[in-house]
Amino acid sequence: MDDKKAFQVEDISKPDGPLTHVDNADLMPLPPPLNNPADEPAWRELTPAAREKYAACLDDTIVLNIPKPKNKEEEQALVRKFLDGLSKLFSKEDNWPFLRPFMLSIEHCAGCQTCSAACHIYEASGKNPVYRPTLRGEILRRIYHKYLKPGGKFFGKWRHGDIDLTWATVVRLAELSYRCNLCRRCAQTCPIGADNGLLAREIRKLFSQELGIHTEELHDKGTVLQLKVGSSTGMNALVVKDNLEFIDEDTSERTGMTIKTPWDKAGADILLIHNAGEILAWPENPGAFAVIFEAAGISWTLSSELAAYDSVNYGLFYDDVMLARVALKQAEAAKKLGVKKIILGECGHAHKALTVISDRVLTGDLNIPRESAFPLLRDIVMSGRIRFDPSRNDFPVTLHDPCNVTRMMGIIEPQREILRKLCPKFREMEPHGCNNYCCGGGSGFAIHSKHNFEDWRFKVAGRKKLSQILTAFADCLDPSIHKYVCAPCSNCKGQMRDMFKYYGLWEKHSILYGGLVELIVNAMADVKPGFIEWEWH
Amino acid sequence: MPKVVLAGIEMETDEDGFITDPSLWNEAVAADLAKTEHVEVMTEAHWKVVNMIRNYYLEFGVAPMIRKLCKETGFKLKEIYDLFPSGPAKGACKVAGLPKPTGCV
Repeated sequence: MDDKKAFQVEDISKPDGPLTHVDNADLMPLPPPLNNPADEPAWRELTPAAREKYAACLDDTIVLNIPKPKNKEEEQALVRKFLDGLSKLFSKEDNWPFLRPFMLSIEHCAGCQTCSAACHIYEASGKNPVYRPTLRGEILRRIYHKYLKPGGKFFGKWRHGDIDLTWATVVRLAELSYRCNLCRRCAQTCPIGADNGLLAREIRKLFSQELGIHTEELHDKGTVLQLKVGSSTGMNALVVKDNLEFIDEDTSERTGMTIKTPWDKAGADILLIHNAGEILAWPENPGAFAVIFEAAGISWTLSSELAAYDSVNYGLFYDDVMLARVALKQAEAAKKLGVKKIILGECGHAHKALTVISDRVLTGDLNIPRESAFPLLRDIVMSGRIRFDPSRNDFPVTLHDPCNVTRMMGIIEPQREILRKLCPKFREMEPHGCNNYCCGGGSGFAIHSKHNFEDWRFKVAGRKKLSQILTAFADCLDPSIHKYVCAPCSNCKGQMRDMFKYYGLWEKHSILYGGLVELIVNAMADVKPGFIEWEWH
Repeated sequence: MPKVVLAGIEMETDEDGFITDPSLWNEAVAADLAKTEHVEVMTEAHWKVVNMIRNYYLEFGVAPMIRKLCKETGFKLKEIYDLFPSGPAKGACKVAGLPKPTGCV
């Protein structure tokens, strides 16, 4: 531990070899029933082959699979391209979307470390200094002042601190931008408004747009696939329609209602866009949306246009150009159908990407109203149009707040009003609402599992959320009581599914996760009881 | 890409152990892939799951919905986890020679 505490910013440029390491003994302790450190699963190690091939020089894992440079030329090219890209982040012409918050954060962070105390990754890792939210900005600031400012070699280092820019610095900074969930709890707590979360995201952007370095999951098999076949899941329009037909039949059978999902209905009031992962992995979620919308008499449709039946927009996490391309496709589909608005289903990052961040590209005739499903669902539930029997939800329920919906957009109450009305044993976890903690899968981590990254994702990134969940259910840990974590976001659900399995939460403690609409349908008095299937997850 | 020998054939896998060229798949390859998923012996039940996934993939180019897999094979999800401990997407799809499922699944 002591040597970890002695970490200095300049160490980022040390010759090859991991900078830090996290042991089970370092990790933040968990509450019961996971309070016995002996039960903590062992870390899997990176294989020697992976260490040989990829630059694994930050910590115990790798996300980006950056090949080790083979010679001096490759090392220099990496540094040159990085510096070139960095200068663009500081330019109005190249970085118009984010220049102002980027510059303000670079210039004004005082290094007070208030944000470190707010960061779940820093805390869960046992306060490992490499995971401080300020470190990325500090590295950028020193490089900028030393290597990009006139006279920086002479003045930059003593005014702003010294740093050596080597290929190892570049690779470590790239990996470090993927040790942050982009939850921006650090920005929320900063006394002067510096946004170290944005800096992590801008570093990812620099690497993607200027060096072609991004993860396969987000880029090649994410955004690129989505723009090619229609969805990051690989489903083309025919397959997605076939799957929805299956979901309609299955939902009709389970609820006793006749469900037929409308496709490409011109002039419908609402274009609903799901995260297509729901269709494949959690089909009860799109099924439940259809049940609620039909029962409430909503005029709605899905679209089978490219990218318009998959709300994901992974560009949010790593690349402005890809972000804009996907958002344009989604808005164009809405325009073509002539709908009054787009409603986003239970996917946090899609909420933020399409409603907030895309504001600056969706102008003029593409500026179609874009809204979260939560206020609409609240209006439906409160309207009296549907009869409910809350006793059907008579089990302990807690709510996980997806960061992109809550902290980033301020949608806090609608989902709670629903739970207070329909779930008699609803309890909050602490803290919650806009002060929530990330599930640990944020910024796309939930779909990354190469090498041993899952160990880091569950033990470090997910640990604070795990601790909150266990504490929320402290009075009912008895495995004979089924418990439900309402996590209305596909990415959060993916993280919970995998993390719950890792720690045996369902098998040993009967803690399950699921969406919000499933709880609504489960309480509908006019559908068959038992919509939530406890064994299905 | 790491190279491995499965059923006597050298082939590439991704970092998660999924084979990168689905056309190299055959039953012997599946049996060897199963061992990487802690499935020592492929029983009739394992084959039922793998064949359904494989046939669906050949027809539609993607993995089937998990619910469809359960309905067509008659297995509950828990039973599929019992057969393939890493689950249908990461375990069964790997043995069926599919690329790793993509997107938020």
